[in-house]
Amino acid sequence: MSLKTLIISGASVFALAACGGSETPSIEDAPTPPTEAEASSGELHPLLAEVAAATYSLEKNHAFMTVKVGHNAGISDYRISFTDFDGDLTFDPADPEGSSLNFSINPMAVETNYPGDYKAGHADSGWESWNEDVSRDAKWLNADAFPEITFTATDIARTGDLTGTVTGDLTLLGVTKPVTLDVTYNGVANPPWFGERDVIGFDASTTVQRSEFGMTAYIPNISDAVTVEFSGEFLQDE
Amino acid sequence: MRKLAIAAGLMAAILPAQAEPTLEGVASGLYELEKTHAFLTWTVKHNGISGYTVNFTDFDADLAFDAETPTNSQLSVSINPTAMNTNYPDPDKKVEWEAELANDARFLNAGEFPSITFNSTAVEQTGDFAGTVTGDLTFLGVTQPVTLDVTYGGVANPPWFGQRDVIGFTASTTINRSDFGNTSLGGVISDEVVIEFSGEFLQAEE
Repeated sequence: MSLKTLIISGASVFALAACGGSETPSIEDAPTPPTEAEASSGELHPLLAEVAAATYSLEKNHAFMTVKVGHNAGISDYRISFTDFDGDLTFDPADPEGSSLNFSINPMAVETNYPGDYKAGHADSGWESWNEDVSRDAKWLNADAFPEITFTATDIARTGDLTGTVTGDLTLLGVTKPVTLDVTYNGVANPPWFGERDVIGFDASTTVQRSEFGMTAYIPNISDAVTVEFSGEFLQDE
Repeated sequence: MRKLAIAAGLMAAILPAQAEPTLEGVASGLYELEKTHAFLTWTVKHNGISGYTVNFTDFDADLAFDAETPTNSQLSVSINPTAMNTNYPDPDKKVEWEAELANDARFLNAGEFPSITFNSTAVEQTGDFAGTVTGDLTFLGVTQPVTLDVTYGGVANPPWFGQRDVIGFTASTTINRSDFGNTSLGGVISDEVVIEFSGEFLQAEE
């Protein structure tokens, strides 16, 4: 699909989905995308050529963070979403390795999509829901004692035109350990309702051993290894 | 989107699997989805730059599993399109958005098509614990063949299920929603939809 198609179509879906119909940009509002020749004339990869060097903040309506653990000694993957997290990114397309990245995750906001009535099947649980159990129980995220999970990038290395690793300090349950994310940059969009501001998208993933942060409950029935996956967008700050 | 599918495959490959799967001693027969350990998501690419992932939160599946000859197994799945979790951040808009996604004629149109179903028609084995399950997917009233890539994760015997076996699977496929007549917002939302499942099936009581 062409970038132009993307932008024009973008107007309708956002008016519908995200902006509640309050904005209905016309086709004429869409900026003219660079031609392929323009985009590739510089040294930068075409997907980086038109991106502002700037500070960006997470576009929370289009950002997903999940963790997966193996269940029953690995016969299936159990999936939990974080539903309240934020990120700040300083990004220079000419120098991605000079970027800075901070993430903050609220461990009180998890979504397990537990079906049915948790209390009915877990009368002895001190928690009202499985989500609350995961958030607050001392053997899990213990969010009353540790109300924030943070990640602060310390070292970024490029592994390809659009891929790299972001190493940083992950603080979970009060323990800080270095963690390395594998990151793919997916490109830039310019929905007209954001004016001149760029929106850039990334995928990232890593695997941590929860025992390194002191969480050892039910290993190995629930795996020590926790896979963390992110896909989402960052909006250039005003 | 292909990259996403490949990435998903890689993630599946590096996910922990402490137990070496085995089919030895696994009961053949009818299994039902163990709904408290089952996840079904769909992911589309948004603006060409990020993956938008939504959980189906009400679905069921029956599996007639043949441990001796897995290719004789049969699978049927039923999904309630009104039950989705987008994790949209604003709580009020989340309700609106999920209702719109479920019911709008441009999206899952659940008023007219209240069930999404999949019924297997052919199972092939591609490795000791890997295979493909081809079947008929009915979505928006259109039935098309779809092939799932499936990995068998192994068996567990939690004591609270007595003698009943619990078996785990991970499955994924990519469909083009346009094959089912869904083409809305085609520029900003990808035609390709990656569907991923991981979960457990509990041997049915006799």
